[in-house]
Amino acid sequence: MAPPDTRSFALNPADYGLPTREQLRSLRIWDIHYHGLWEGDLRKHEETMVTVDRMGIERVLSLDIAGTPADPLGERMPAEKKKELRRLLEAHSDRVSVLVPVDPSDPLGSLTKIEEWVANGPCVGIKYYGGNPGSVRCSHADNDVIIRRAGQHDALIYIHAWYQMGGEPRRPGGANQPGESTLEDVAILARRFPDVSMICGHSGGDWELGVRAVRRLPNVYLEFSGSDPHSGQVDFTVAQVGVSRLVWGGHGPSRSYSTELAKVFDADLTRPQREQIFGGNLRRLAGPIFRKKGYRL
Amino acid sequence: MRKLTRRRFLNGALLPAVLEAPPERPIQDGEPEPGAALPPDIIDTNVHLFDWPFRRLKYAGAKALVAKLRRHRITQAWAGSYEGLLHKDLDGVNARLADECRANGAGILLPFGTVNPALPDWEEDVRRCHEQHRMRGIRLYPSYHNYTLARPELARLLRVARERGLIVQLAVRMEDPRVQLPMTRTPSVDVAGLPGLLAELPTLKFQLLNAFNATESLRGLVGRRLIAQIRVTLDFSHVEGQGGLGKLIAGDPANGRPPLPVERIVFGSHAPFFPCESAVFKLFESPLGRPDLEKVMRGNAERFLNG
Repeated sequence: MAPPDTRSFALNPADYGLPTREQLRSLRIWDIHYHGLWEGDLRKHEETMVTVDRMGIERVLSLDIAGTPADPLGERMPAEKKKELRRLLEAHSDRVSVLVPVDPSDPLGSLTKIEEWVANGPCVGIKYYGGNPGSVRCSHADNDVIIRRAGQHDALIYIHAWYQMGGEPRRPGGANQPGESTLEDVAILARRFPDVSMICGHSGGDWELGVRAVRRLPNVYLEFSGSDPHSGQVDFTVAQVGVSRLVWGGHGPSRSYSTELAKVFDADLTRPQREQIFGGNLRRLAGPIFRKKGYRL
Repeated sequence: MRKLTRRRFLNGALLPAVLEAPPERPIQDGEPEPGAALPPDIIDTNVHLFDWPFRRLKYAGAKALVAKLRRHRITQAWAGSYEGLLHKDLDGVNARLADECRANGAGILLPFGTVNPALPDWEEDVRRCHEQHRMRGIRLYPSYHNYTLARPELARLLRVARERGLIVQLAVRMEDPRVQLPMTRTPSVDVAGLPGLLAELPTLKFQLLNAFNATESLRGLVGRRLIAQIRVTLDFSHVEGQGGLGKLIAGDPANGRPPLPVERIVFGSHAPFFPCESAVFKLFESPLGRPDLEKVMRGNAERFLNG
């Protein structure tokens, strides 16, 4: 028997204690961790957006335009490919927004990229990968010019941060990649820029440590995708930092939307609180730059 | 305007009038029509009771967990005990598990005892699980009990389990090694030795728990051959990627992953460590047809348990 089409469901999610697609849509979910455009692969993007649509996600924010972890500034990407991506973003600005990767080991190159893609382009923010060619973490002073410029443009700032257990002696963050920040790095940076909001990606992976590291910094927001779904994670985070500092990411296509949605539906939250986490907080942060660019909020 | 069916009328008009509450269950695209078969219940082959050693869990107690499972239409759950990970008195662990399932399991929790073949007289633990506690299966945690699949006692244990008709569930992992404590070293189990281990035991009922996410050897073509060789059953608690369950069943040529027979796949939530919602959402994230859904939600587990 052929499977049903991609928007239909053979069984009703409501019969299983889950929201229906329409209920998910009504939450106005914005996904700030979208990898469907990894390496500019438009076929993968098209395929991934089918699931985005099926799961009722309103908007995705790509983190991979004109850059990869090995080449964050996209210097090896052909100019024609960049033009193709730019056309795609302009045509689909109602569904797809972009944070461009920067390279803290090349601050001047990063400033050029911010001018090209954010100040004078379709993008709404910058993204720090989990490592970079020069192995520079986000706490290094070379980041200051990047953060200052991003702040001047009201750009969203997203920083991948993890605590990978390992190393010798074995410790949280001891197995991080060269240049991969921990949340303590984010905290150091955030203290230097108390008026600039930053989104800390993954809650550090080990979220019990990650939340502790930034809980007293009101300009640090926590996104929590890309790790296993632990029951109680969102309850804990809300209790520590309040619901207004959480931002939702889907991490597709490498992670399942089921994993990331479950983290929020597991938590004991009211509907308005869920709305904040799934998109309200991000829309508040993105409001200034979206209005500048005339994008729908 | 959509046709007003009997079901829409009942859900959208009559019930709120009776209950004085707004409708909470909007009709969606593709909802089954009135007269369709009742939605199938779920058998969850992968839950645990009691306290996770390193964090308080919301649904650690049997009563709380049962209530949670019921909210997601899970009407049977195979339950192990987190105590089995670190305790040495596994007889006590298994007795408490059996008692808790009986006292507070509301008839839906089936206890699966923990056996550690590296401990002296593990044979008696198996016997008590089967004869005294009437368990249908046992769980193995090689990473936590510090042995590999090459340990000779493991092969003996599997033979004993087969003779008793017990299901054997082997936990490939319990927690992402990247977020464990510095003092905890429980890597994912290397399952490459399974074909040799199971070659002489074709009728053994054997399931891997929490496989895939960190079990690279199971994800590609080599892994599928391995699975084909050993006819192992797997739960999908750790299957990741968008539409991951559907790609597991249909195959994912772009990533070099051939199809996995749907008959091998059973529902597993890994609750209460994972939210139940994670596994239940996966049933809907992939556009699966009802026949396949019924197999992974219930049919395969029923056949595995009773076949």
